[in-house]
Amino acid sequence: MNKKSNSLVQRITLLPYSVWATLFILVPLAFVAYYAFTDSDFNFTMDNVMRFFTATSMVDDGETVREVHTYLLIFGRSLKLAVISTAICLVMGYPLAYIMARSKDRTQKIMVTLIMIPMWMNFLIRTYAWMTILQDTGILNGILGMLGLGKLSIIGTEAAVVIGMVYDYFPYMVVPIYSVMAKMDVRLLEAARDLGCPGISVLRRVVWPLSLPGVISGITMVLIPSVSTFYISQKLGNGKFYLIGDAIEGQYVANNLHFAAAIAFILMVILLVCMALMRKLANRKLIVA
Amino acid sequence: MKKFSKIYTALIMLFLFAPILILLVFSFNEGKSLSVFSGFSLNWYVELFKDAETLGAVRNTLVLAFSASIISTIMGTAAAVGINKLRNKYLRATMDTVTNIPMINPDIITGISLMLMFVFVGRLFGAATSLSFVTMLIAHITFCLPYVILQVLPKLQQMDKALPEAAMDLGCTPLRAFFKVELPEILPGIVTGMIMAFTLSLDDFVISYFTSGNGFQTLPIRIYNMTKKTVTPKMYALATIIFFVILALLIISNIIESSDEATAKPTKERKKASRHSKIIAGSLGGILVAGMLGVLIFNSGKTQVLNVYNWGEYISDGSEDSLDTIKAFEEYCFENYGMKVKVNYSTFASNEDMFAKLSSGAVSFDVVIPSDYMIARMRDNDMLLPLDFSNIPNYQYINENFHGLYYDPDDLYTVPYTYGIIGVMYNANVVDEADVGSWDLLWNEKYKGDILQFNNSRDAFGTAMYKLGLDVNDPDHAVWDRALEELKEQYPLVKSYVMDEIFNMMESGEAAAAAYYAGDYFTIMDNQAENVDLRFYYPEPTNYFVDAMCIPSCCQNKELAEIFINFMLSPEPAIANAEYIYYACPNSLVYENEGYIEDMGEEAMEILYPELGNFKELYNHYAYRSLSEETLNYVTSLWETLKIN
Amino acid sequence: MKKIIELKNIRKSYDDTVVLDNINLDIYDNEFITLLGPSGCGKTTTLRLIGGFETADSGDIIFMGENINDVPPYKRNVNTVFQRYALFPHLNVFENVAFSLREKKRPEAEIQEKVTEMLSMVALSGFEKRSVNSLSGGQQQRVAIARALINQPKVLLLDEPLAALDLKLRKDMQQELKKIQKATGITFVFVTHDQEEALSMSDTVVVMSEGRIQQIGTPVDIYNEPENAFVADFIGESNILDGVMMQDKRVLFSGHVFDCLDSGFGRREQVDVVVRPEDVDIVPVERGMLCGVVTSVTFLGVHYEIIVDINGFKWMIQTTDFCDVDEHIGLYIEPDAIHVMKKSEYSGMYGDYSSFSNELDELSDAEMEPEE
Repeated sequence: MNKKSNSLVQRITLLPYSVWATLFILVPLAFVAYYAFTDSDFNFTMDNVMRFFTATSMVDDGETVREVHTYLLIFGRSLKLAVISTAICLVMGYPLAYIMARSKDRTQKIMVTLIMIPMWMNFLIRTYAWMTILQDTGILNGILGMLGLGKLSIIGTEAAVVIGMVYDYFPYMVVPIYSVMAKMDVRLLEAARDLGCPGISVLRRVVWPLSLPGVISGITMVLIPSVSTFYISQKLGNGKFYLIGDAIEGQYVANNLHFAAAIAFILMVILLVCMALMRKLANRKLIVA
Repeated sequence: MKKFSKIYTALIMLFLFAPILILLVFSFNEGKSLSVFSGFSLNWYVELFKDAETLGAVRNTLVLAFSASIISTIMGTAAAVGINKLRNKYLRATMDTVTNIPMINPDIITGISLMLMFVFVGRLFGAATSLSFVTMLIAHITFCLPYVILQVLPKLQQMDKALPEAAMDLGCTPLRAFFKVELPEILPGIVTGMIMAFTLSLDDFVISYFTSGNGFQTLPIRIYNMTKKTVTPKMYALATIIFFVILALLIISNIIESSDEATAKPTKERKKASRHSKIIAGSLGGILVAGMLGVLIFNSGKTQVLNVYNWGEYISDGSEDSLDTIKAFEEYCFENYGMKVKVNYSTFASNEDMFAKLSSGAVSFDVVIPSDYMIARMRDNDMLLPLDFSNIPNYQYINENFHGLYYDPDDLYTVPYTYGIIGVMYNANVVDEADVGSWDLLWNEKYKGDILQFNNSRDAFGTAMYKLGLDVNDPDHAVWDRALEELKEQYPLVKSYVMDEIFNMMESGEAAAAAYYAGDYFTIMDNQAENVDLRFYYPEPTNYFVDAMCIPSCCQNKELAEIFINFMLSPEPAIANAEYIYYACPNSLVYENEGYIEDMGEEAMEILYPELGNFKELYNHYAYRSLSEETLNYVTSLWETLKIN
Repeated sequence: MKKIIELKNIRKSYDDTVVLDNINLDIYDNEFITLLGPSGCGKTTTLRLIGGFETADSGDIIFMGENINDVPPYKRNVNTVFQRYALFPHLNVFENVAFSLREKKRPEAEIQEKVTEMLSMVALSGFEKRSVNSLSGGQQQRVAIARALINQPKVLLLDEPLAALDLKLRKDMQQELKKIQKATGITFVFVTHDQEEALSMSDTVVVMSEGRIQQIGTPVDIYNEPENAFVADFIGESNILDGVMMQDKRVLFSGHVFDCLDSGFGRREQVDVVVRPEDVDIVPVERGMLCGVVTSVTFLGVHYEIIVDINGFKWMIQTTDFCDVDEHIGLYIEPDAIHVMKKSEYSGMYGDYSSFSNELDELSDAEMEPEE
């Protein structure tokens, strides 16, 4: 490509996006920081950020009364549920992605569409439908009852919230892993077998390391929305699981924009650091493996 | 191994499609319940097509998704081309990072960040509203862009770099070379990117929630705002229709593809290619036109616009043969004043939600219908305009008891819309009659795991404070601390903290006792399952509330707003609304109307309209009042404390 | 002969790497000229400069007397056959060939006629409706040529067009290309790293290395009179030895003073001496000017390739006579088999034939990563 026209093309094609990204990606993040570090008169303050780390409340677990850090606890709980959901998505999704990648082209296409279809139903409605299934007098217990298997009490437990998260974000795990696996050269697997690798070992030593990029993006794409959700916990957690997303939304609704921004800011920083670390780690592992 | 794969896949598919099956089945439910199936009916589909607001929300959602996906596809493709040509390592890394931000940032942060900026900039320029269709569109384009870029970029990288050069070599300018050679090569990536953008935009709730503005509400927001009332099977019917439309589209495209594959001999390759590109170009064009049309329709005409902000499911909307109030008003204006009026009707989920949006300047409305204590707060913040009652002659029909209430002592700002009392409903098959009558039922250990509590801090604290005989408006922290202790004590007994979920849970017998707004009891009772026997009583003391229409200071068309308020008080819409909402109405044209009395039935009339003799006194004593910012913050943090138990 | 393209003092670098360093080259009308060199020597960049896909940092490109430095590729009367053909996958054979005519909005009848004519020239009549992806490598190659020639350009640029073909097909295509060039009278600028290809097809060969032109000449000149050790080594096989010019037509190497045909060097000037393997005669030890021991023998069909150790320097000799390993033999070299070159920066870089590894590396380089 001619250098002059090259740079011209670059300028023309990149300009709108660069302007857009600056205005609507970078500047808004600056606003989050700005609000996080100011009070309602826009004077600088550390109070909002400090409040996140220092606010305490008394928790009564029936026997003892403990003092806990309110928001750290909320964040810890969100992270725990998100990590569990992500792990389940990975464990459930990885074999499916593998099965998909090894099936006929047509089957692959159909399966990808099937996995994507639920995303076209609104996620609020899907979550609502899960309420109908999981509640004590719901469909699931109806079926179990008919089979004489007794009742499960799921709704309002961590399990229900996790099910909701797994359900809503499952496609985000499967699709990236699948697309990496689908591109994997079959000859690599044959080569591994040829070199004396038994089946399981091929999975562990060849398929897994090669699919790591897909796994990483899958984990990212599930972990992040599940750590910050606020609707699923309200509906399936019986309102008893107050997560970091609920806290942000709650503060927003209570008109504490600055504190809401502070929570959002801290969440963002923590997540960005986590993601960067994970990618670094995975890269190193990728090379070693 | 093969068998295992099949079983495994089947199980996952079952998991993925179980909820969809559920909503499919319940869309045919005769009753209103989403958990008790009472018989087959197509009723909800009929209702859906009568519901102009929901259809409007569907249209908005589609318009938004089309516009956002088209714009982000064009801009994203251009960006991908540019990024692909970047040789400078650092620039490239910067671009990659920036592109990744919306993907690895939680959507709640993307939403909040954009909202903060829009509001700030809006305030800076003194705009009446900072959020609108445009801001929502910007938000959607922003989070769709990375997905488009990440789909197109690999296609560009895979493409033989000599192709555009070959085209230029053969006489194409760089631009023509792009369209004639590069574009057909990367088209699959572009189409996938666009479909992804469309899907994401369609499904998004969180970002829309923070960036939606006046009169342009999408389906997810409409559903979310049904929180005080209930999500009807209408929505399930809608989801079912969406499901089958998509299924049909997919099957058709699959058939076209496979017939192409079957007939495509090498000699027909060209035809196939051209046909494909024609199909793609055709659908792109169609989408573009549809999007444009949608936007045009949205912006069309020199009609006067009235922006109304109300609770979700809080107006008669034409379903179940009721009056379509909004449409009736538009017709009324045309007939009586010769004005073409378009009502932008938006809903909110809670008083606080409404206040947050309105006070930030994010939105502007002409008529809002909040509750009493929020009205007081708005008045204190100079957010209300005094009404010109000469434009609201129907005000005369408002019962005397509703004049001079604390939130508007001189009757300057408000016209009451509904009122009600919080009561306790219980399932008589579970709860002993001996235990009913007071707030204690909700703290009764016997019903551990069967009790529901409000999932909003004000009402939840209210129950505890009434029980303890405390003043619900006391600014003293100690009083609230005491109430928190009470709520903490109740916590282990509570099955769920609910708003709209109460409908399902009480109907199905999932829970046995709950406090809620009196009117909703009847909606629930109408749908109760066979083994459920719901009863209702008022504990003493309890909360009295009034929701009233008022005009916020950001109003753009005050006279029309007053006409609207007056219209809402006229017999036909007033009765229709009262019957639809099931709350008590302070309008004598309603509660004295024989048809209305008959429709409601004796029991409902008794419960909804207890003796009004000392209403004013009780109301002014027990109703919620506006709390100071400081107290509100304190209550919010107490509420969080309760929730992390 | 008329100059059609002149490159004057062309310099080009990417970032900090110099790719072309003061290139001066004249290309004449109706000529088949080949740019030859290992990967990374700058030959493709030179071609792309002529095509207009790159701009030089300095220097001028003159096309038929006009400076075309700033003329974009689509306005140059030059067409290119790309390395992997760059056929448009979404168009069939006919449309690929018709591409530039359509771009010029020529009448349909003319397009039909010309495309049919071009396709028959490259022996692809009847393939009009085929998808380009369904063609073999050779057929794709012909489509690419037809597509580039349909415009009747003044100059056709060919960037390693035969690299992806197998050996047999490559030989056929070499013939065919030569034929097409003769028939059309268009100047061909051909880029390759394959010296055999260069020698067999070209009127003029330009040997390049490290961004500089090492030698320009006819294939015979280049082979027989390499200008430096690089050219000698790159073109064909050669034994390159350090020598000293005793006087005109007398050169000392391997401890022996030989008669030669070269003159004009300074007295006792250090020189490089090239002896082609096929120019060495094997004689009995007593008659040999040099003596050595055979260390390996390889049968190659037309001849044997034997490696002879002479005082520690391994010579390669191609001969039809059979020798055994460990046999002592004598070597006889005619004066006209000896070529003396001035010392250059490449002197001493190309050792003896104690191993082939360098050459192998280079071959595999060229296959693995074709030049940009």
